Amino acid sequence: MKKFKIIPDFVNEEKFLNEMALQGYYLEKYNSLGVYTFREEAPQSLCYRIDYRTFSSKKQFEDYCALFEDAGWEHVYGTRHSGSQYFLPIPGRAQTDDIFSDKESKAGRYKRYSSQCFASLMLMITWLFVLNSDNWKIWNVKSWYFTPGLWDMPGSLFWKAFLFETPFVILRVAPMILFFFMAILYGYWSVKAKDLYKKELDVH
Amino acid sequence: MNYNKLLPLTETTFYIMLSLATPSHGYAIMQNVELLSENKVKVAAGTLYGAIENLLKQKLIIEVKSEDKRRRVYTLTPEGKELLKLEIERLRHLIQISEGIELGGKER
Repeated sequence: MKKFKIIPDFVNEEKFLNEMALQGYYLEKYNSLGVYTFREEAPQSLCYRIDYRTFSSKKQFEDYCALFEDAGWEHVYGTRHSGSQYFLPIPGRAQTDDIFSDKESKAGRYKRYSSQCFASLMLMITWLFVLNSDNWKIWNVKSWYFTPGLWDMPGSLFWKAFLFETPFVILRVAPMILFFFMAILYGYWSVKAKDLYKKELDVH
Repeated sequence: MNYNKLLPLTETTFYIMLSLATPSHGYAIMQNVELLSENKVKVAAGTLYGAIENLLKQKLIIEVKSEDKRRRVYTLTPEGKELLKLEIERLRHLIQISEGIELGGKER
């Protein structure tokens, strides 16, 4: 089963996965567009834990997974570049009830997530600048249409030309709008994760 | 290297660095910390991984060659050894000045 959900808070995401397991759905895959893939089995009470890390080499990633496995945590899902890393305690083998043993490191995942969102925000802004040419700007709707003299045409002729070009405009502008909204989302998540980071540090 | 900026070490960092006086991989560090602390300190995997990354970044430990393909092995650098020595001296001094201090209360 697939489910689309965007949860930019690890604690809530862990709760969501635990609730899904109670209904008999087990996380199999996740992609950064927010699509969770679940496998159906008998319901169980589980305790998912999420870390957030990307790795510069395959060896580092393998070492990371090996360390968690050694410590009794099954690496359920996550790739070198996925960021979110999902873990489940291996019954009888996990020696701690969490993958973090102090609040600084538990909060640290929000800090890394925040920086990643900020990096994505910068990437989106760069794309927006690259795609913005001299001839058309995202904030100027009139510049989206290339038909010469379109805006000065009389009534019926205008509508004909306008409707004719609109599908092309949508194709041309859609990526821009997408990047624009993603930039806003990444900016928002970056700030929110920073707040959560500070909040977690303050919890006694 | 400005050692004073890095002192005092957190308890976790102290245990990890002490364990890395001999080359070890992550899980060996975890086990050694439990042993040294008589089960009082348990470093969870995520916390340990972050601590190792930090120590590598600060060049206090370094990765050494190992036969295990999946697990990275680390050991203290000369700077790491120096820092650990300074921390031990600092702790020793604290113990020294607290000896013979009467705080009253019942002996346990």
